[in-house]
Amino acid sequence: MKDFSDLNMMNDKILKIKQLLIELETTSEQFPALSKNSKRALASVKMMELNLSDIIAFDITNVK
Amino acid sequence: MSGQKYWNPVLETMPLEKLKLLQFKKFKRILNWAYGHSKFHKALYDEAGLTPDDIRSFDDIKKIPKVEKSMMRGIQNKAPFPYGDALCVPLEEVSTFRQTSGTTGQPVYQPDTWQDWEWWSECWSFVLWAQGYRPGDRVFIPFGYNIFVAFWAGHYAAEKLGCEVVPGGVLDTQSRILKIKELNATAMMATPTYILRMADVAKNKMGIDPSSLSINKITCAGEPGAGITSTKKRMEDAWGAQVYDHSGATEIGAWSYECSQQPCGMHINEAMFLVEIEDIKTGKIIEEPGKRGKMIITALDRIAQPCIRFDSKDVIEWDPEPCSCGRSFRLIRGGVIGRADDITKVKGVLLSPAAIEEVVRSIEGLGDEFEVIVDKQGDTDRIKLKVELLHEVTRLSVENILKDQLRLKTNLGYQIEFYDYGSLPRYEVKAKRFKDLRKKKSMEKECRS
Repeated sequence: MKDFSDLNMMNDKILKIKQLLIELETTSEQFPALSKNSKRALASVKMMELNLSDIIAFDITNVK
Repeated sequence: MSGQKYWNPVLETMPLEKLKLLQFKKFKRILNWAYGHSKFHKALYDEAGLTPDDIRSFDDIKKIPKVEKSMMRGIQNKAPFPYGDALCVPLEEVSTFRQTSGTTGQPVYQPDTWQDWEWWSECWSFVLWAQGYRPGDRVFIPFGYNIFVAFWAGHYAAEKLGCEVVPGGVLDTQSRILKIKELNATAMMATPTYILRMADVAKNKMGIDPSSLSINKITCAGEPGAGITSTKKRMEDAWGAQVYDHSGATEIGAWSYECSQQPCGMHINEAMFLVEIEDIKTGKIIEEPGKRGKMIITALDRIAQPCIRFDSKDVIEWDPEPCSCGRSFRLIRGGVIGRADDITKVKGVLLSPAAIEEVVRSIEGLGDEFEVIVDKQGDTDRIKLKVELLHEVTRLSVENILKDQLRLKTNLGYQIEFYDYGSLPRYEVKAKRFKDLRKKKSMEKECRS
């Protein structure tokens, strides 16, 4: 991690993973093994959001 | 990665002004969530004439009504059973049940979703990383895994960090010590009472010097002992390990931790929690360091049963000094100093049981166990202290030091009773060493009348 552009890049990846997992969870309703593991993985992604995405979403990094 | 000092290098070093802004935005988010999903919270705020939109600045947060444990007891055992009106998610989203220990009354049930449970172990990950837990550590957890949250989340966090966890659940104390020895465990988590108990059993019943084992760090929780200098020293000397303090609660989460610098205090995890300190007499929020008050705490990201401005009764104070570890998360000096409902008046003097522990454990000739009993003789308060003498120690050699130190630290005189080593009750989890019989007597009197 060098600077805030790295943080933005990492955040983009987190949001992409989240989007993919939401899609997978939705499309796998009849496939419990995929649906439930997607939901569980989304809870882990939420921890990454708390660790990084919130800072960017709330624009905390740009506050002087 | 193991050389990285912080679990989250962005949040843990964020300047305080930015942290406060983050806290404010997260506070608004959880407030909106609770207002929209919990009948209990909506009714509470409606009654106060407030909606989340009325909270426009950090200063407005204190307008939000506090929640006390007794209020939670009142709404539970109702639909959706057993959690009642504070449940914010459909019952089928609840993946785990815990309950409070019931130390202060009827236990409170705590529902958590899987996301909440991830959050619990995330908060514990901050704790363990700061205390030097790393991949390669073999962590022994001598805890009866059950309905109490205790070290469950510590277990999952240690796994997340890459440690190897040994669940020392249904084993007796001697078997646990043998397992530590057999596996060369490097770290351990338990209450201070049990850490001392294990050392005592190893040394006096098994002939094993606990400091010869491979434990190099211990995380304590559940009681204030690791924040009491003399108790911490006893544990560190016995095990030849660093002992770290941590504080959490079932209905709150893992909100604070001592870091590896051992700064005689604990960091608040200010990215995950908002801590306010309230003056017990005036109810005003204390901003300045060095003034004690009770903690009002918000878990900023817990969703199934939110914890918003919870009156924890823990007595704390801000430390004026930053920590040399570089974290911007503020320190509370001395950790949790006591509980507002533990601090009691004896002979007109405010007494905290922790002060007695500090004295007893600072005297080398005394054992780890003690008991304090307050009652009335006629109209006068009487305070009795039972202590154990270690083998080959005479009463004469410690009695005056003990009396003087107690007088100095607590401003009270005691009736002291000395017992042989091993006579007083031993505890495996949380100890009950302070007994105020005055309350019991006055309740009996009320019942009779």
